[in-house]
Amino acid sequence: MLLELNEVCGGYGNGDIVKGVSCSADHGNVLCLVGPNGCGKTTLFRLILGSIPISSGSIIIDGKDTKSLSSKELAHLIAYIPQYHSPIFAYTVLDVVIMGRASHFSAFETPKTADREAAFAALEKVNALHLANKKYTALSGGQRQLILIARAICQSAKVFVMDEPAANLDYANHQLLMEVIADLAKRGYCIVMSTHSPEHPFSVGSKVLLMKAGSVAGFGPPKEIITSQNLQSVYDIEMDVVTIHDRYDMERTICLPVKDPAVNRLSKLV
Amino acid sequence: MNSTHIEIKNEAVQRRRCRLLLAGMLILLFAVVLLSFYIGYYPLSPSQVIKAFLSRFGYEGEILPQAVTIFWSIRLPRILSAVFIGASLSVAGSTYQGMFRNPLVSPDILGVSSGASLGAAFAILNGASNWVVQISAFAGGVTAVAATYLISRKSAHSHTLSLVLTGSMIMSLCNAGVTMIKYVADPNDVLQQITFWLMGSLTKTDMDAFKWSAVPMVVGLALIFIFRWQINLLTLDEEEAKSLGINIRRYRMIFIIASTLLSAASVCLGGLIGWVGLMIPHLARALVGVDYGRLIPASAMLGAGYLVLMDDIARSVLSMELPLGVVTSIMGAPFFIYLIIKRKERV
Repeated sequence: MLLELNEVCGGYGNGDIVKGVSCSADHGNVLCLVGPNGCGKTTLFRLILGSIPISSGSIIIDGKDTKSLSSKELAHLIAYIPQYHSPIFAYTVLDVVIMGRASHFSAFETPKTADREAAFAALEKVNALHLANKKYTALSGGQRQLILIARAICQSAKVFVMDEPAANLDYANHQLLMEVIADLAKRGYCIVMSTHSPEHPFSVGSKVLLMKAGSVAGFGPPKEIITSQNLQSVYDIEMDVVTIHDRYDMERTICLPVKDPAVNRLSKLV
Repeated sequence: MNSTHIEIKNEAVQRRRCRLLLAGMLILLFAVVLLSFYIGYYPLSPSQVIKAFLSRFGYEGEILPQAVTIFWSIRLPRILSAVFIGASLSVAGSTYQGMFRNPLVSPDILGVSSGASLGAAFAILNGASNWVVQISAFAGGVTAVAATYLISRKSAHSHTLSLVLTGSMIMSLCNAGVTMIKYVADPNDVLQQITFWLMGSLTKTDMDAFKWSAVPMVVGLALIFIFRWQINLLTLDEEEAKSLGINIRRYRMIFIIASTLLSAASVCLGGLIGWVGLMIPHLARALVGVDYGRLIPASAMLGAGYLVLMDDIARSVLSMELPLGVVTSIMGAPFFIYLIIKRKERV
């Protein structure tokens, strides 16, 4: 297994938020983290990325315990792809991608020809070489997300951690991004992504980690985990999980929140 | 990979263009420095300047003794001071703008200038000699930043935010101290000295003062120059920068120490000279782009040339000498407004 979490616990000093999460993912897997707000998805990400320490349990990447790795060594194994952002300064796309090489040369150096070549190669892999000299700040949200993926490729990590990659994208860019993620998995990368849409695991995911209140509510293939019953227990609303066939006769699964017309839930809130 | 791709070629062209620009800046800086030897209260002809320069290297021909004194004891230390202060303030400004992820940050954001002013004012109040005033200013600046840094570490806010908040608190505390000292100072003598010192001027610089200040400046400039590319990573979100494999807190500390050395030494050599550290980084970005690999050398050279030019104006426009701090403000403010209005692109 490329990525293994064993009974991982951790939080921000005053008590654990993530309580004993175990799961695993291999090359070519897309592991989707699904769960309501505040269930500990972001905290789990921080634990995996090593930006906050784990209080017990262990995280093994490529056979190495992350506790024994320096931040540089960790950066060669795992890359973080944030939601697309707007930096303060108008860096060119190439500048942004080259930042992924930070762990590849000494702090006393500036990027060399080899680093630039790696950046160009990474851009080519996501079909964005034509954007290389554009200003990153002038790109659309979808394009920026693509550039950040190129940066992660340039970092030469094997595991990509993506925090709700689709959250701020429009419908078309959202679909495009999902295709890019599926393509990355095909190339052998392992992608760990959090999502608010329980349908995502069906379109790109090979595994789902369903979380509730910092603990695992289910881990396994989407078909077994994303069920009407599980979603209901996690989100506390009624959900139907429906499988249909689209016009190309592909099997699609969608999740529909439903409600009993006889019950007014708003009146319960007041 | 197809290395003949048009964008790869374009990038190489742009890189070459930037290198040429940097070379051009260096030539321009030398030109400004050379011309500055002719400017001043006592006019020197080109041949006198060259002879005065050569007099130290065994030139034995006929030469005015005043020319030698003016060249080596008055203009040279003054021009060198302007070069180093200009470069220091601009480099510190560029670094802080990246580190605090805010293009409107100036080098005094952590209280270095206010601390230095308090140190200088306190020394002047106690009748200290010129070099004690300078040491006191340097110590005041460093102490203010150290206080800011240590207090900010106790805060639960994000590190940069708490640094800025603590910095503004230290700044206002130091300014209150300066005001208090001015209030109790003798208006006929001490108050005048304090006010003059705070205005910023290179009138009193001599070779000794320059040599002492040059040491921290060279250290600060070298530190930032060596690690300059890493400043790019500090412009990212803290979590993101960490995930790229760098120790963000260590770099932040290095850059704070280096910038503080630069600003404190500048203030102790030339008093408060505003706007340079805020304005020059913008000019440099407009010319060579935002990548710190190029921005730091560009800022250093432009800042140096700019301050030499401003000092030339200060000592030549009127029959009496203008305070340099006033000149940089008068010239800087309109230029900055122009930049804000004219530049459509984000700086």
